[in-house]
Amino acid sequence: MIRIFAGLLARAVVVLTGTALATFALLWHAPGDPALSIAQARYGTVVSKEVLDFIRAEAGFDDGFWTAFWAWLAPLIQGDFGQSSVNGRDVWPDLLTAMSYTFPLALVSLGLGLAVSVPLALIATRRPGSWMDRSAVALASVGVAIPAFWLGQLLILLFAVQLGWLPAMGAERTAHSILPAMTLGFGLAASLTRILRSGILEARGQSFLPAFHRRGVAQRNIARDHVAPHAAVPVVTVLGLELAFLLEGLVVVEVIFARPGLGSFLVNAIFARDFPKVQAMVILAAVIFVVVNLLIDLIYRILDPRMDGRDA
Amino acid sequence: MRSVGVLVVVCLLLAVFGPMVAPHDPTAINIPNRLRSPGGAWLLGTDALGRDILSRLLHGARWSLGLAFVVSLLGLIIGTVIGLIAAQGGRLADWIAMRTTDTFLAFPELIAAVVIAGVLGAGTETLIFALTVTGWMRYARVARGIGLSVSSRGYVVQARLAGLSPLAIARWHYLPSLLPSLTVVWTGMLARAILGISTLGFLGFGVQPPMPEWGTMLLDARIHMRSTPLQMIWPGLAVVLSVLAINLAGDALRDALAEQDAKE
Repeated sequence: MIRIFAGLLARAVVVLTGTALATFALLWHAPGDPALSIAQARYGTVVSKEVLDFIRAEAGFDDGFWTAFWAWLAPLIQGDFGQSSVNGRDVWPDLLTAMSYTFPLALVSLGLGLAVSVPLALIATRRPGSWMDRSAVALASVGVAIPAFWLGQLLILLFAVQLGWLPAMGAERTAHSILPAMTLGFGLAASLTRILRSGILEARGQSFLPAFHRRGVAQRNIARDHVAPHAAVPVVTVLGLELAFLLEGLVVVEVIFARPGLGSFLVNAIFARDFPKVQAMVILAAVIFVVVNLLIDLIYRILDPRMDGRDA
Repeated sequence: MRSVGVLVVVCLLLAVFGPMVAPHDPTAINIPNRLRSPGGAWLLGTDALGRDILSRLLHGARWSLGLAFVVSLLGLIIGTVIGLIAAQGGRLADWIAMRTTDTFLAFPELIAAVVIAGVLGAGTETLIFALTVTGWMRYARVARGIGLSVSSRGYVVQARLAGLSPLAIARWHYLPSLLPSLTVVWTGMLARAILGISTLGFLGFGVQPPMPEWGTMLLDARIHMRSTPLQMIWPGLAVVLSVLAINLAGDALRDALAEQDAKE
């Protein structure tokens, strides 16, 4: 177990280093002079050449890519995300504030997705091929094809503009979270239903199940002890993939509904060319993603002990 | 199955011939005619600059579907090459190729695309670059998996011993086994690319105005949601229908291949 964990951890470190390197390389090659944008943020639009030289030396831009990369990475490893190049404030507190808007929304959406998809998949698979099953599949197929940015707009149009029941923009009250959570929850529910359905059907098709049945084990015990664990394996795997979907959806949804979360943080930072903020956000997303997938890998191995330490 | 085929053919025809049947110039600005309701010479109405929405939708098919086609095909080529290098190129090449794939997979693809397109500056070239860089990994995984299983088969070993070049082996022995699975992956990635292009367009990082891309059109329509809500329906519907058609075609293809495998 410890050996497996060490292997997974080593892989996570490789992935995080790769992400940091790729991000830094991207920003290094971005058009425009990063020193100029820092200087303008600090001292206004007219900047002398001496100031630019000073900033370049300070940020390590003069000493080439690897020096500058290390000058950024070394504090980062110690938890210092640096300062915004636009307003000079520390990035980390702003990032924390954004997280406090994003995480509750993500959890509620995930809960909503599970609350819809689990019963739907159970009802659908009761009789495969029945009209219930077919309509669940149809609903899920259409659901995964609907982009979040469109669904969110349609919900605003219906519930905020036409009916006037719910607020659309902002995040001050709980009511503000209802439409964003519905947007994200719907997409999650659609894709989870598809995967759960095929997972349950596959688990049902296991050749040892009729043997239990003939031995007189109650149907509900078979479902609990043998079908459920089998169906759970693909679901756990897929939750990792759904996390990507969730993070991507959050970016769009927060922009549409004007929520000051991580997604808006990222998009605004890109538009403002505030590269320290962009870097911080990318690294944070990578850490979240890697940590969650690490946990999923571990749960996976507990559910299915046949997995050895090599490939997931 | 047949209805899926019809839907896919309709999408293809629209992308190829749509611009030819468009009744108006999609970028011709006509302010006196702005924000018209559907009807008359403007079947779906006009947008905030008086441009014909139907014509923009039809021309938009070429941007939204055409770019998705380019992006998914580039990903297919790059991913297959990397996957085959991993399968055929020895342990070190395999390790490097697969850890690179892991790293690229370890980050939400769309967010990476947003960052790349946004940082490099919005535009069609950066859009293609951003979505290709974040869209080759699944092909690489599949190509490597099949490549490994093929490379141990007798006829491949013999071809190698007979001195056939790696390229020839790839062409004659790997490609036929790879094509069916890669086609299934490709349909999924095509659908993802359509969603990615329209999402980036909607966020303002994709195809730039005045070009009529569906996501960009939605961004325009958003401001006039109160006065002309129907404007927001059409581009979204176009995205959903094309993604649905491609996903269903992919599902049908996968089932057909599974059936064929079961028979063999």
